Amino acid sequence: MNPHQIVEAVLFASDAPLTADEIARADEMLDEDQVEDALQYLRAEYDDAGRSFEVVEVAEGYQVLTRPEYAPYLERFDNVPRPSRLSGPALETLAIIAYRQPIGRIEIEYIRGVGSSGVIRTLQDRRLIDVVGRAEGLGRPLLYGTTTHFLEHFGFKSLEDLPRPEELPIVLRDRTPLGADEDEQARIEEPSVIGDLFEGEPEAAEAGEDQDVADVEGETETAESG
Amino acid sequence: MDLTVAERVEAGRDDFLLVEIERFQGPLDLLLHLIRTQDIEIFDIPIAKITSQFLDAIRGLEATDLDGAGEFLEMAATLIHIKSQMLLPRPGQDEDEDPRAELVRRLLEYEQIREISARMRSAEADRSRRFGKGYVPPRPKRDLFEVPLETTWDEVFEAALTVVMPEPRNRTHRVTTRTVTMEEKAVLILDALKKSTRVEFGKLLLGFKERSHGVMTFLAGLELTRRRMLFLRQTRPFAALWIYRRDDENGSGVEPPGDGDEDHHDEEEGVPG
Repeated sequence: MNPHQIVEAVLFASDAPLTADEIARADEMLDEDQVEDALQYLRAEYDDAGRSFEVVEVAEGYQVLTRPEYAPYLERFDNVPRPSRLSGPALETLAIIAYRQPIGRIEIEYIRGVGSSGVIRTLQDRRLIDVVGRAEGLGRPLLYGTTTHFLEHFGFKSLEDLPRPEELPIVLRDRTPLGADEDEQARIEEPSVIGDLFEGEPEAAEAGEDQDVADVEGETETAESG
Repeated sequence: MDLTVAERVEAGRDDFLLVEIERFQGPLDLLLHLIRTQDIEIFDIPIAKITSQFLDAIRGLEATDLDGAGEFLEMAATLIHIKSQMLLPRPGQDEDEDPRAELVRRLLEYEQIREISARMRSAEADRSRRFGKGYVPPRPKRDLFEVPLETTWDEVFEAALTVVMPEPRNRTHRVTTRTVTMEEKAVLILDALKKSTRVEFGKLLLGFKERSHGVMTFLAGLELTRRRMLFLRQTRPFAALWIYRRDDENGSGVEPPGDGDEDHHDEEEGVPG
């Protein structure tokens, strides 16, 4: 039996992405490099043979998925409701969390300019984000980060797959924002961490906001339980 | 944003600024709209103009959605604050102390996040056009009725013969209005608890014959418990039910007496059935 046949069998039997390391567990003879080679082989084979599926790199692993052109046929079987698309606020919040993780609710709300506890809960219910820790300081607020399921939902290989700020049409680099010093300017050019640029939020404003939001949340929770 | 008001600003010079506030996800969204539709240089926002446009746009906000309105009002306050700072001379301050700086940073960051979420939306759409194992639902299980019967008709017939038809019995149901009220039972319980710290449930039923008294007394007990006016205690199922007065000096320290079968019978006698 060839390594690529073993790898294919493992991929075929799995309904979730598997890492090369996980696939290698199938046989003592296999190591990660061999698995990668086998995957390469399979990919070429599926392409050449014109198979309706391919090996897709997703969520830091590999999964056999159908090619997009077959969607119209497969959608006919959609009698099991699939998770609906995310709403605008949910996507916006998720984008902030993806780029700034670990991040707390107050910071998310400062960036969005609106209360976000409901959206955060929804994202958590849908397993797209999870609590990844607690911040230091008053009340030790919860910090959120994205999950593997998040990568799967968007078909991202890893967080590196997220659009990089410098690829965006919005000009953040060409001009120094007012009040930004050299240091900050340097950090703007740093990919994948756009957020670091805005770390120095006014403490007072944040604390006040915190108070308000906490109050409101407390009220809604009582209302729900009552 | 879930603003219920769809108020429009009065059509004035800036007709293109007609704004339905509910369309916006928040104050930053609205501000960006004002800036981008007027081709305003974001690094040099005419704060006075933008502030007055912003205030016009949120004029229709009602206090009914305090949450949402609060966020817009907070931004309005920020804008007014910046405007006032711009008017003040800033002697000796270096230029990078522009009062607009933080707002500009927030706007740019928010705009970027919005762009990123648009890209994530298309990634989501792309992903949803690919399918993995387990997507197509499994074949439905065979219907239960299709399972062949292992019983013969003879057996069924035989079984049917052994069935004795029940005697038709006249059952009369009388529906009457409630003559016993929960309120009077509540008074009864509270009166009893004035005399002693606790009372056994069955005691409260002495002298009343109908079952409805038992039911209403029990409901009154539950209601008063819900209002935190008393405790109900029962050591185990079917043991005597004790009603305890609830006040500060009589906390949870008082334990109900050990109930034996005796108590059980007491209760049964107490509830005429």
